[in-house]
Formats: sequence, C-alpha cells, structure tokens
Amino acid sequence: MIELKNVTKSFDGKNKVVKNLNLRVEKGEFVVLIGESGCGKTTTMKMINLLEKPTKGEIFIDGENVKGQDLMELRRNIGYVIQKVGLFPHMTIGENIELVPTLKKWSKEEKKARAFELLELMDLPAEDFYYRYPSELSGGQQQRIGIARALAVNPEIILMDEPFSALDPITREKLQDEMTNLQEELGKTIVFVTHDMDEALKLADKIAVIKDGEVIQFDTPEEILKNPANDFVEYFFGKDRMWKTPEMLLAKDIMKKKFGKIGVNGSPARAIEIMKERETNTLIVVDREGEKKQKPVGVVTRNMIMRNSGHSMKMREIMASSEDFIIDENTNMVEVLNIMSKINFRSIPIVNKDKLLVGAITPISLLNIITEISPSIEGGEL
Amino acid sequence: MNKIGFLQFLEYRGPEIFKLTGEHMKITGVAVFLAILVGVPLGIYITKNRKVTNVILSTANVFQTLPSLALFGLIIPIMGIGFKPAIFVLFLYALLPIIKNTYIGINSIDPSIIEAGRGMGMTKTQILTMVEIPLALPIIMGGIRISTVINIGTATIAALIGAGGLGDFIFKGISMGNNHLILAGAIPTALLAISVDFILGLVEKKLTPQGVKNS
Repeated sequence: MIELKNVTKSFDGKNKVVKNLNLRVEKGEFVVLIGESGCGKTTTMKMINLLEKPTKGEIFIDGENVKGQDLMELRRNIGYVIQKVGLFPHMTIGENIELVPTLKKWSKEEKKARAFELLELMDLPAEDFYYRYPSELSGGQQQRIGIARALAVNPEIILMDEPFSALDPITREKLQDEMTNLQEELGKTIVFVTHDMDEALKLADKIAVIKDGEVIQFDTPEEILKNPANDFVEYFFGKDRMWKTPEMLLAKDIMKKKFGKIGVNGSPARAIEIMKERETNTLIVVDREGEKKQKPVGVVTRNMIMRNSGHSMKMREIMASSEDFIIDENTNMVEVLNIMSKINFRSIPIVNKDKLLVGAITPISLLNIITEISPSIEGGEL
Repeated sequence: MNKIGFLQFLEYRGPEIFKLTGEHMKITGVAVFLAILVGVPLGIYITKNRKVTNVILSTANVFQTLPSLALFGLIIPIMGIGFKPAIFVLFLYALLPIIKNTYIGINSIDPSIIEAGRGMGMTKTQILTMVEIPLALPIIMGGIRISTVINIGTATIAALIGAGGLGDFIFKGISMGNNHLILAGAIPTALLAISVDFILGLVEKKLTPQGVKNS
C-alpha cells in the first residue's frame, strides 16, 4: 500500500509542481496517474521512490515513512520502468535483467534462473535473448525487457512512467494487453503515469486525474466516465463519451466476435488449455463444438474448474448455466451492465433472435467501445 | 650533398637512433600517463559539478592554444631545463583532449540510462563504475590517443630545453645543415606517431563494449 499525505513539491521554491496532494494506492491496485504534460503526474510518481524529494508532506509504503529508509534499498525494492526504457547498452539482456539482483548480491545461479523465468514470462525465448544486446532488439522487445528488469527481485510495487508511449500503436496495444494479463497473474501494486486516456481506461483499476499538481478526481474508470468531477475531467476524457446515451449502444455493437469457447462435453484440461491460449479466465460453453451454428448453454471460469477438479467431469457439470446471462444482441448497454454487475464472471454470451451464439461481451470489449464510440456521438468532438 | 648514402648513415647512427627513440617514447609516455591520472578524474569531476566545468575546460584550452615553443620558453625561468620541465609542458598539452573527451564521453550517455540506474537503486559510485565509465571508455581512449599522437610531435621541440628525444637529431641537423640527421630524427618520429596511433586505435576498438559496437 502506498500513501501520499499532503505532499508538496517545488523545484525552485516558488512554483509548486505538486500541491498538497493526497493519494492512497491499495495493495494489488493498478492506479493510473493521468493529466496533461507538466501537470505534476511524473513528479508525483517519482516521489514514491524518492527520485524526487517532497518539499513538504509524507509518503508511506505499507505504513512506513519512506523518509527514514535506506534510499538505495527502497529503490531496489520498487520496480521502475520508464518511457525510454534505459537498458544498459553495454550489458547483455541477461545482465540487464539481473541488475538489481546483482546489486542485492544474489548468487550467479539464482540470478540466471530468475532472468530465464522472467524472459519466459515475457514470451521471449530465454536461451536466445539472454545473451543478446539491447541494440539488437525492437522497441517493443526492449520495453518487455524493461518490465522484466523491474520485476527481477519480485517487488511488491512497480512504478511505470509512460512505458508504452514511445512505441508504435500496434506494439503499444499488444504490450498493454500483455500488461493486463501480467497484472492479473502477478497482482502487483502499480502506479502508472500516462497522458493517454485510452491507455488509462484500458489498464486502470483506478484513475487519478491530475491537474496543476492536484488530484481532481480519483476513482474507477467507469465512475470517472459516468460522473466526471468537473468540466476538466469531462473534457479530458472526451465529452459525452457515450455514457450520456448508453441506451443507443446495443450488445451487438459492444461484443467481441473472437472469444474463448468450449463444447459441453469438453474436459477441464481442454478448457484450461483454451484459456491459456486465449489468455482469458472465462469460456463460453456451447452445445456443439466445431460447428458454425452453436447455441450457448453456459459459462465456465477457471475458478469453477479448479473447484470441480474431479477426474471425468465434463463442462456440462461444471459450468454455470442460466437464461439470465445469455443476452440478446439487441439488448442495450445499460441492461448489459446491469446483468454484468450481478454475475461474477467476465464473459457473457450474446445470441441472435434464433438463439445462436454471435459474440461475447467482456470488460475489455466494454472499455474498447468507450474509446471508439465517442467521436461518432458528438460528430468528432473531443 | 653528403658523401655517404642515407642507408649507410642509418647503419652508422643506428644505436643512437634507438636510444633517442626510447627517450622520446619515455618523455611522451610519462607526460601522457600523468595527464591520464589527472585528466580522467578531472573530466569526470566536471560532469558532476557543472559550476566548474567552464573554468576547467577553458583553462585547459589556454594551454592547448599557446604555441608549444612559447610554452617551452616560458617554463625555463620557472623550472629550468631538462627532463622535468619538458614532461610538465607536454603534460599540459596532453590534458585538454583527455579532460574534454572524458567529459563528452560521460555527458553523451543517454540520460534515460542514468535515470534507470538511479531508479533501480544504484549508488552514484555504481552508476559511475558500472555504467558511465564503461560506456565512455572508447571516447576517453580516443582522447588519450589524440593526446599521445600530438605529444609525439610536440616532444621533438622538448629537445630545445635539453630533454633529449628524437628532436635532438632534428635540431642538430638543422644547425649543421645535415639532411640525413634531420631525417634520422623526423622519420622515426613520424613512424612512431603513426604506429602508436594505430595501436591505440586497436585498443580503442577493444574497449568499445560489445553491445555498442554494432549500433
């Protein structure tokens, strides 16, 4: 848990870059600091590992004031990822990832094992990448190494300063997706700085909108879109980002056409396999596998499978099944949200008038639509 | 012009040429060595203390600008003649390229690399020894190379204040109107400069970190 209490920062003694700022980041939360350039978001983040010293106020990590702590030890225990990556060009990828472990004097074998583990986690063939140099890697690969490096000693907290903004749009999106999955897997406490609202909406559990060194609103992405604290927030996130007229949005507009599914007779092992492949925790269960016309009969999540890990169980016996969450493609967004808030899994099947499966809605598809729809509502006004 | 040919002359003067070449290398070597001892730390120092950067760089610049002959002349009333004052003057000459290259080498490192280092909890010393110096090393070596090569040339003038070296031959040759003598000083000096430049060039390449070479 990170807590900033009445933190003020001034570089020249006159202008306050950060003004009396309060922020509380819970353990395991992905918090995005967003604002225009020069609003103090990066400075705020850098005060957490004391790269910038607060002029006034106090910062606590897990209840302990950072001020009294060993500065180097503090920084080594907080992952740090920056926009320009900052890999050491004269060191191999392996040596780069092992940097903090080296500072912490881990043994050679421990370091190498960890570096290999992290390279695998980042989907980079370890045997190959470990011995290469940063200059041989693409921008996206470099930033993956940057993230791996930050995870090296498995820190509880990770600070990220616009890590994806220098990448091309396709790579950026890919890394954002990977980040989402990674966070689901690792559950770190993350403070992430960006000026890109799409990115914020996609990644954040909570967003802190910062303007002139103050937090204007600190809330979940949905809440910020629905109830912006003031005109600035509303303007910043794009006026009328569809929330004003959610009735206009139908399930078929929101749904994804590609999603994980499995037949009623599928085995738990197969379900897990598909989940891995799709990088999801929820699958839609269909009556017949491998055919074009399928009817959804239920939903299965990783947890359900774990709970029922009996040997010869089929999806039929494990899945949650109800008419309530099989939604017609013409259902409007408000109702979809209502249904989604009542269930505790993250993917719901969408059917056409013949009850045939046509798509699925997930939180990601909801967020995607938020970012796509706003220009078309207000004639492009942002 | 002369009764004996140049080759015969070389044969006759051979041992002396070797001796003077040795002296020459010693004068240059000691001066550059001292300049490295002082220049590299000074160069590092001025990257960390911006206030003195200009003072130190322009002071070093002054010595570089003074004509070597004048500087040798100026030093005689202070330090007399011989080996020591010659070393001192050459040391001053070697200083600027070394300081400047050290400064540039460290300053040209992408600031994000240093920021990443700080953010990961490296101490200032660790950043210096693990990141800055390894990355700046080829450029620093370049400075040392320039200093050495310039000094091999300038060291011939040191013969004027009795420091010895290949300049002895050159000046004797000039005063005696003996071209063989002049060449016996000038050719080894030139060869020395060229070969030292080549060798230090190899060292420079060798010191360039693997990952930086291709880019």
